[in-house]
Amino acid sequence: MNLDIRTEEKEDYNLLHVSGEVDAYTASQLRESLLPLTEKEGASVIVDLSNVDYIDSTGLGIFIGALKSSNHYNGTLRLVGLNARVKRLFSITGLDEVMDIEEEEEAQ
Amino acid sequence: MSVQSNVEVHSEWGIVSARQAGRNLAKELGFGGVDQARFTTAISELARNIYLYAEQGEIIIETVENSRITGVQRGLKITARDRGPGIKSIREVMEDGYTTSGGLGAGLPGVKRLMDEFDIDSVTGEGTEITAIKWLR
Amino acid sequence: MADSYSFMQEQYTKILKTYLEEKNEIGLYQAQQFSKKVLENQISPEEVVSLHIEALEHFFPDLPQGARDSFDFLIEIMMGYGMAYREHQILRDKQKELESEINVAASMQQTFLPDEIPEMDTLDVGVISVPASKMSGDYYHFVKDDNDCIGVAIADIIGKGVPAALCMSMIKYAMDSLPEQRLQPGALLENLNRVVEQNVASNMFITMMYGSYDSRVHHFYYSGAGHEPGFYYNKAEDSFEELYAKGLVLGLNRDTQFREYHKKVEPGDFIVLLSDGVTECRTDDGFIEREEITRLIRQYSDLSAQEIVDNVFYQLEKLQGFRLRDDFSLIILRRKV
Repeated sequence: MNLDIRTEEKEDYNLLHVSGEVDAYTASQLRESLLPLTEKEGASVIVDLSNVDYIDSTGLGIFIGALKSSNHYNGTLRLVGLNARVKRLFSITGLDEVMDIEEEEEAQ
Repeated sequence: MSVQSNVEVHSEWGIVSARQAGRNLAKELGFGGVDQARFTTAISELARNIYLYAEQGEIIIETVENSRITGVQRGLKITARDRGPGIKSIREVMEDGYTTSGGLGAGLPGVKRLMDEFDIDSVTGEGTEITAIKWLR
Repeated sequence: MADSYSFMQEQYTKILKTYLEEKNEIGLYQAQQFSKKVLENQISPEEVVSLHIEALEHFFPDLPQGARDSFDFLIEIMMGYGMAYREHQILRDKQKELESEINVAASMQQTFLPDEIPEMDTLDVGVISVPASKMSGDYYHFVKDDNDCIGVAIADIIGKGVPAALCMSMIKYAMDSLPEQRLQPGALLENLNRVVEQNVASNMFITMMYGSYDSRVHHFYYSGAGHEPGFYYNKAEDSFEELYAKGLVLGLNRDTQFREYHKKVEPGDFIVLLSDGVTECRTDDGFIEREEITRLIRQYSDLSAQEIVDNVFYQLEKLQGFRLRDDFSLIILRRKV
């Protein structure tokens, strides 16, 4: 499975577009792109997951690592565009209560 | 009496000269076709490492003898010496699969297998010396 | 080595001669069989070229010099293959070594899991836990106390394979070092969470569901740390409901609190605990629905708890073409009548 990651630098935050599947094989790729963004004082990062169909536990671990790093540097990390399956994973693991998460907008 | 040949390596021409010197000696000593090719390939790989990583160094090829009960065994010894950056972890470069980044590069373990004896010394910042012997069968 | 070379030389000359004389398929078949022998005797590619040129010189003493020289050229070309071939042999041995090392580790890991399921007058227990590869990231644990209370844990360590297995040994020892007296599920997870938080890397975590079944009054108390929900089967209504305990995964926040839930268990009711390898079962058509799992359980519900889990595993394994993508664990606790 492939994972595509594109980073967009906005004025006061970084936007990470992720598409594909985040699993044991692609997780390291996500970590390499995401973690450094959170390692700056007060950095603000938004991850767009609207093109991600599936995240497994290794993938979830990357977001947890990024959250810890972001908290350490007093930054913010926000995940947007989660589909139902991905949202369920964040909800079951209780991460929806410690992370800033926004579901996919309903189709108009 | 030992015959010796020294070749400076600082370009691909140097690699070819070292190969040539090695092949001539191997032929003279009576190495077979395959062993000639193996010996030359070992020289080639060592010279190429000098050219790529140390930029400058030398290859010395000489005949060696070893007295045994069965008689005198003759062989050829390669010494590859450079004043390059040296090798940080010899154990790592001697590990199989470490340098197999495409091409013919079976790396130093590959060279070791082409030869009968192999020895390496390296000091970071000072350089590397590799010696290897192939005995006449 | 030299012996086998001269023996091979003789053989090669012989079959090449036959072929050159008769030029038929039998000759080519012999060549194919010979190539197997070449591999068996670890003759490298450049040596094969050498076999060929020596045989050729034997048949055609007047071989033009150019043709002869071209074989020296070919030997040089084959050197790369020769080096790759020898490296391949070494790597193959290395792989065997690694494999046997992993086999030892895998059997060591088995000792972390209970070797037998507790026998109870009141409960029928079935367990299956199968790793996707050799090492597992799923963990389960049973403990029975003097008051006929049974504690059951199911945990899923992030990822799979060796890293997950290493982390599992920590969980095992953490569970073993918990205070002797029986802890309520919530308190137990809080204890465990502190150990995990201190000992794992920042992107590691563990999900767990812990339950305690009191056989005297048939109450099931449970708490969850971000674990995949199980099922509760209500016999009277012949219906399944989700068995979910909200709670944050272990290893994230030191001070996480875990809520305790509770169920009154009637005769014939059962509790299903599972790992996400069960629900994230994937076929060519995508993920299976959770309903598929309850349908399978219901299909086998007349059997013993162990037979149910075995059958469900078999069916789900079959659905995936007998290839597991994730570690698979399924536990059923059924109240006997």
